[in-house]
Amino acid sequence: MADVAQPVGIVKQIGLIAGLRWRMLHNNLRRKQNRLDLIGLIVVGLLAGVVVIGFCIALFAGTYEFVSSDRTTWLGLFFWAIFLWWQLFPIVAAGFGASFDFRGLLRLPLSFGAFYVIGLAYGLADFTGMAAVFWLIAIVLGAAAAKLSLLPPMILVTVLFVMFNVAVERLVGSWVERVLAQRRSRELFFAGFILLVVLLQLIGPLADRYGDSAGPWLVSLLPYFGYFPASLAGRAVGSASAGDYRAFLLGAAGIACYAAFFGGLLWLRFAAQFRGEELSETPAPERAIRDPINREAPADALGLLSPEVAAMVRKEFRYLLRNGFAAVLLLLPPALVFTLISQSSLLQFMGSKGISPELFFPGLMAYIVLILMTPAYNSFAYENAGVQTYFTAPLRFRDVFLGKNFVQVCLIVTELTLCIAAFCYRVGLPSAPIFLAALAAIIFTVVGQLSIANWSSLSFPRKLAFGQVHGQRQSRMAVLIAFAAQILLFGISSLVLGLGRWTGDRWLPAKAFVLLAAAAIGGYVSSLDALTSYAEKKKENLIEALCR
Amino acid sequence: MTDLAIVTEKLTRRFGALTAVDTVDLRVRSGQFFGFLGPNGAGKSTTIKMLTGLLAPTSGRMQLLGLDFSSHTVAVKRQIGVVPEGMGLFERLTGAEYLNFVGRMYGLDHATTLQRTRELLEFMQLADRPKSMIADYSHGMQKKLALAAAVIHGPRILFLDEPFEGVDALAAGALKALLGRMTARGVTIFLTSHVLEIVERLCSHVGIIHQGKLVAQGSIEELRAGVAGKEGSKTTLEQIFLSIVGQSGTERAQIEELSWLT
Repeated sequence: MADVAQPVGIVKQIGLIAGLRWRMLHNNLRRKQNRLDLIGLIVVGLLAGVVVIGFCIALFAGTYEFVSSDRTTWLGLFFWAIFLWWQLFPIVAAGFGASFDFRGLLRLPLSFGAFYVIGLAYGLADFTGMAAVFWLIAIVLGAAAAKLSLLPPMILVTVLFVMFNVAVERLVGSWVERVLAQRRSRELFFAGFILLVVLLQLIGPLADRYGDSAGPWLVSLLPYFGYFPASLAGRAVGSASAGDYRAFLLGAAGIACYAAFFGGLLWLRFAAQFRGEELSETPAPERAIRDPINREAPADALGLLSPEVAAMVRKEFRYLLRNGFAAVLLLLPPALVFTLISQSSLLQFMGSKGISPELFFPGLMAYIVLILMTPAYNSFAYENAGVQTYFTAPLRFRDVFLGKNFVQVCLIVTELTLCIAAFCYRVGLPSAPIFLAALAAIIFTVVGQLSIANWSSLSFPRKLAFGQVHGQRQSRMAVLIAFAAQILLFGISSLVLGLGRWTGDRWLPAKAFVLLAAAAIGGYVSSLDALTSYAEKKKENLIEALCR
Repeated sequence: MTDLAIVTEKLTRRFGALTAVDTVDLRVRSGQFFGFLGPNGAGKSTTIKMLTGLLAPTSGRMQLLGLDFSSHTVAVKRQIGVVPEGMGLFERLTGAEYLNFVGRMYGLDHATTLQRTRELLEFMQLADRPKSMIADYSHGMQKKLALAAAVIHGPRILFLDEPFEGVDALAAGALKALLGRMTARGVTIFLTSHVLEIVERLCSHVGIIHQGKLVAQGSIEELRAGVAGKEGSKTTLEQIFLSIVGQSGTERAQIEELSWLT
């Protein structure tokens, strides 16, 4: 008779999972690739740490000032800022998230309680959550430094506020993943997103038209925000400071209710996952479709490209369109540009300061390039085991890069064209020297980055899960290289623009950028063969990183 | 033109201190159905990865279809098909999209690729889910698709790493028949499998690798002749395999120790 395993307590289960994660991290460091990644993580962590500490100091000082000057309820603004950070930043920078591999855990006799707690704990283990917690601690300390008696109420409010934020963030992330997992819902999501972007364009004109009359109406809405957790937190602390503990407890209870409500909803989501919910591209097996075989092959629309490059281009476009989250991120830069240039007040402000709006143009173009080029530094992230095809097929790796880079460039050209058209419509065409300099600078920075990004993709690959919001940790070394390359290329560009202003020669930047662009194109073309040999050297590393 | 499809000379691959494949000299003739056997961790997958260009050897030479692999890499790859370990599929494409992609990567023209894609999807019984992503295929369906991708360009050597794992009996029968027809037309098939009955039924020749060394190679009859079976009974491949690779007494003793399981 076989032994029967004894049930394990929830604390023990969580301890075992934590031990497992630690052992996995420890063992991962045996690999050189992961050690480099750790170095990257430390450097990126230090940079991020500086930002976090900077905000900590600012929040500490701000809180101290608010509490000292008896304006404690203003702390609600800080709670609002942290709430928005916690909920919005993960969508913009999913790469910082920690993964919660619930499917892996389901194999184990894990209780649902332990599963839930681990899921929540992961919400605190990513950069966004940790930064927010540090800032909240800074607020608590700032309040305590100004008025020590505020420490216990601040701790209570902060803990409840953290619980609320973790629950909301995990819930939203979980639902977004579920929605984006299926093609149909992803398409609807895209449609909704594009509609939102279009509607955003109406804000500027509407504000111009109805701004004065809508102002009082908007102000009348402000009290309703008082019932949201961030405002409740500010008011609760203010009440505690004024010695009104009844109002304080009421505010704290309000936040606790929010936390319990969203915690309950999250409970239901995790329960579905715990039961074995499987995210799938298609909601159910399709009915058998028997298409009559069409013997007439349609003409190849990419006939001008070599078959290998055309195949890569098709595959890359399909992957881009099907990777909901990555595609949404690609829509964000033009959306932001449209929103910015639709703000009349911004253009008026620039005019009042004597800044020519056309100087805005190179800045916007640089922003688009900056955002859109970042994924190129880990361009094999979504290939998984498919990467083996590139090494078993009779092709030179330059064709793989040509295909990938072609799609990347098409994307940038499309988004830039849209933005330039919008800019010309709102602000007008920039002067010829600025316009040509910006275009040549774009060619220089994009092509210059492509060579470096291709090298980085081979050297520091990291597998990313398709269409997922959480658990998408980028290769830290790739992130560092992207930063360094962008600083270098944009530094050169700034220098050239500066030289133009210094010499007073308006055409100098355009001439210089044309030369730099030609050099970048030459460098790119000559790098392709070198990268083909390099890919051969790095193939084991690449396959191992992506097929694991 | 040489009669040998695959030749390796002192093929070696080391991972740090571990020698996964140790001076292996393989000889596989054109048109042979060659089974490559070995216990777990013996070096089968490492060998197949080297032969298909997924892994660089530490030392030694490989010749495929008379061409040196290191100096004619692209020319060799054009003539081989591979179902690698893990199948190597792009999971976010549909079956047809994936086959089109692979066909074009192997240099087939657009019309031929489309034509062969349709025929292969029909043959593999995958044509009735045209919109499904490969990620949503069952394991067996993915295996069939990987096989279809490996043959779309009409290779002269086919490398198959556990090709029948997870494939249903109906499809497996059709695939075996197809592979048989391919060898009859001169295609060389290099197959690894843990299911010795399949290897015995399909393969004319086998190689056995153990702890990185090629310990036996030849036709099944030749290997059978080298192993004494019970009088009057035909020695099975499993018996040949066990007699060559063996099972140490220590392992048996450990198994007997697992009294808590029985």
